[in-house]
Amino acid sequence: MDPKQHNPVVRTAGRIQLIYLCLIIVVCVFVLRLFYVQVIRYSYYHTQALSDQLKQYQIPATRGTIEAYQGNSIVPIVLNQQLYTLYGDPLLIKKTNKSANDIANVIGGSATTYAQQLSTKNTQYVVLANQLTQAQSNKILSYKLPGIGTLGQDYRVYPDGDLASQVLGFVNNSGQGQYGIEQALNNEITGTPGQLKAITDANGVPLAASSNNIESKPVNGKNVVLTLDMGMQAQMEQILAQEYQKTNSQGLSAIIMDPATGQIKAMANYPTYSEADYADVSNPLLFQNAAVDNAIEPGSSMKTLTTSAALDQGVIQPNESFYDPAHWVIDGFNITDIEQDGGPREQNIASILALSLNTGATWMLMQMSQPGGTQITEKGITAWNDYMVNRFRLGQVTGIEQGYESAGYVPPNDPTDPSLALTYANTAFGQGVTVTAVQMAAALSSILNGGTYYQPTLVSQTISPSGQVSVNKPKVLEKNVVSPKVGPELIPLMQNVVTTYYHEGYSFMNFSPNYIVGGKTGTAQLAQPGGGYYSNIFNGTYVGFVGQTKPQYVIVVFNIKPNVPGYAGALGGQPVFADLAHMLINDGYVAPNN
Amino acid sequence: MATDQAVAWPRRHRPDYILLILVLILLTIGVVVIYSISPALSLTNNVGQNYFIDKQLLSIAIGFIVFGLAIWLPISFWKRLQNPLIVIAGLSAIAVRLFGQEVNGAYRWIQIGGISFQSAELIKIALLIWLAGFLSNRIRSGTLGDSRKTLYPVLGCLLILVFVVAGLQSDLGSTGVMIVMIACMTFVAGMPLKRIALVALIVVALFGIAIAIAPYRLGRIETYLHPSSNCLTTGYQACQALISVGSGGMIGLGLGRSVQAYGYLPEASDDSIFAIYSEKFGFIGDVIILGLFVALFSRIKRIIDRAPDDFTRLLAVGILAWFGSQTLINIGAMIGVLPLKGITLPFISYGGTSLVFVIFAVGILFQISRYTTYRVPANTNGEGMRYDNSPNGRRIRRTYNAAASSSSRA
Repeated sequence: MDPKQHNPVVRTAGRIQLIYLCLIIVVCVFVLRLFYVQVIRYSYYHTQALSDQLKQYQIPATRGTIEAYQGNSIVPIVLNQQLYTLYGDPLLIKKTNKSANDIANVIGGSATTYAQQLSTKNTQYVVLANQLTQAQSNKILSYKLPGIGTLGQDYRVYPDGDLASQVLGFVNNSGQGQYGIEQALNNEITGTPGQLKAITDANGVPLAASSNNIESKPVNGKNVVLTLDMGMQAQMEQILAQEYQKTNSQGLSAIIMDPATGQIKAMANYPTYSEADYADVSNPLLFQNAAVDNAIEPGSSMKTLTTSAALDQGVIQPNESFYDPAHWVIDGFNITDIEQDGGPREQNIASILALSLNTGATWMLMQMSQPGGTQITEKGITAWNDYMVNRFRLGQVTGIEQGYESAGYVPPNDPTDPSLALTYANTAFGQGVTVTAVQMAAALSSILNGGTYYQPTLVSQTISPSGQVSVNKPKVLEKNVVSPKVGPELIPLMQNVVTTYYHEGYSFMNFSPNYIVGGKTGTAQLAQPGGGYYSNIFNGTYVGFVGQTKPQYVIVVFNIKPNVPGYAGALGGQPVFADLAHMLINDGYVAPNN
Repeated sequence: MATDQAVAWPRRHRPDYILLILVLILLTIGVVVIYSISPALSLTNNVGQNYFIDKQLLSIAIGFIVFGLAIWLPISFWKRLQNPLIVIAGLSAIAVRLFGQEVNGAYRWIQIGGISFQSAELIKIALLIWLAGFLSNRIRSGTLGDSRKTLYPVLGCLLILVFVVAGLQSDLGSTGVMIVMIACMTFVAGMPLKRIALVALIVVALFGIAIAIAPYRLGRIETYLHPSSNCLTTGYQACQALISVGSGGMIGLGLGRSVQAYGYLPEASDDSIFAIYSEKFGFIGDVIILGLFVALFSRIKRIIDRAPDDFTRLLAVGILAWFGSQTLINIGAMIGVLPLKGITLPFISYGGTSLVFVIFAVGILFQISRYTTYRVPANTNGEGMRYDNSPNGRRIRRTYNAAASSSSRA
């Protein structure tokens, strides 16, 4: 290098100086800016950071299981299974197509659809699939796809398939019990979710312990043991399915209740659905437990209650005879029997039930008005109203542990109603009043057990997460519904109905004298919109009991619009009762009395 | 010869070890920060716990090899290589376009084996060496003020760069760095200010066009102007960066306590590493790291002041412009005073190509620092005078004239 060469530094040293100065000035500006952001505005950014990072979670409590009896042992009928929701965070997705293909390879579905979902703008959470198994979840997680995660959630599984589905209800995707027990006892079964407040990563996964973390443990839901006997329930469902076909029914409901406690031993409807596939059910009516939510006019099976009321009042005697004029004119309307065979003649109380005399039921209401009279007065109406509303508790929900229970309808005792006497005469034989099957079962039970109305119940016991068992004692809603003598008086009257039908040729009503079996049919007319009744459509109902020496099981059957060659009660309701009663006897639920 | 004419004679001596120490400290900080957020990185990228730190250490190791190369080979070797380098850089740009990976519409990377290579980094080095050689030749021939011989070639080089790096690779950050390099090198080379102003005007016009043809850049500028209003969309990274920096506070959350790296702040290991560093170490840590960078810049300036000739001096100026602009553009974006540009923070950020070439440039500086010109002005008593500290502008001007005449004699 030529030492004589000019020195370049000297030439433009000022320019370098200038560049360096600019650098230093910018750095100083940066320091000032940092001071502003980090020191002066610290709390603002600190809050901003926490509002992103600090997330509050509910830690879901494990939902309680549902169990029921199998003979004397308790078996699970609803259990939990952990299934996984697959989600993606489009902001964090790196290789959209590869992620979508990997997912489609594991769980099926269209990779294109997944790719579209993963490209959704302005969201950090898209659900790609629900109810993946643990194996599927693990497989997808093993690919370590950025922005893809799974979330465990409890789902219900049903070891007995769709058995008792309408009693049980289901649990929807957001963890809420819907219909049945799941809805009615949702709070107890759900438990209390825990809370977690924690600094998390962008996916919401809590980071290691931080002073900002707050946690409260979840309290798991209680397990519920139902009063149902699964064997009886299964038989009942089979019987209903068969009779539904045989009777060309629009819908069948049945209940078997223990009259001594109000406990439901079996309760079913047909058609029904499968809880596991509730999402595929297109007709939401299938979710409903018709036995508690469908109130219909019961027809003549109501006469068991009318008779009991009159017996309790002492205005009739079980073996009393009376003159049946074959029709009554009340408020200008004729009340007749469905069949007017025989015409006016002497009848007795037993034949009111056995021949199902509407005139007889009306006559009993007249006796409540004035013993020996043939008028329906305010006194009789008030008394009968008292029995229906306050003693048999019609027109109000029973409080059974089911969603959407119906209250039914009892016409109000309104003295200004010009046709009140006619209205109440109708209620004496089960028209103009609506009841549910469970109301019917509970009311009849209260008569047969000596006068105590127990709240119908499906819950035998609840078991807390710690294992503490709380037995659900029978709950008395009304004492002295009728005097204790009424039950023993009614029982032979109802037995007589069974034997009468048997002798008339209903061979399926053949029961061994080693058991007491009683019942009452009901062929209910259906109210026509706009007034009056259909002449050719009926509901068939049946109330009855089976026992060794006293009624052990009360059975109620509602058959909606069966298409049978005869009376809906006799041919729609009665055969179902017969099947159920035979089942109870044949399966040893009732022991013979000798 | 005037008495205030510096006497310059290059001789080989101890290189600038302080420069090296500063660089090692910065590299260490980068490694420590990347290591400390490895759990977060491995989670958000679904790679192994040591993936990032291993690759960073590998890059540093490769960096040391090229560093060795830079201090082993004489500076003149690189000057001879200026034209081949341009060709190689051009080929790399073409290769990236043809075989490279497309990321958000830009072609910047090419995958060779397991290593991804960023073309813009090579272009920077090629530009640095070529421009230093070109300008030193023009100084020697006294044609620095000649439009045809100097201005047009520089302008042409600028246009090609803008077309390739900004246009094809959509890398505005690197383009900005290269423009600053060209500006500083021509400025220091002594190009008349009027001509530099003309170039500056053209650059401004080009940026206008660049924004007009690719609207997402306008989005970036909008984001820059109104960061908080777009926090969930285009301004997400800018907002999260500012939150990271701000939530660090005075002393920071501590080394292992960054939360933002857990998926909140994109590019936590590379472009956004300053924000993560700030979250961990706070204002005090930021002042320290800025102090380290300033110390590094001042060492480079010292090397510039003592550079033995125009070529090495311009090389060092280019490197200062490179490091300085890249550092400030990166940090400026993180603290919300500049728009996001997508470039790395030298020495600290994760990123192979960038790190290797930055270390290579340090090697060049180190090599230059071995050949300091000791200028002993007659009016001082033997101490090397800091001309840059001289308040006497007149002296410099006279020297410039003297140098021009001396150069014509050479």
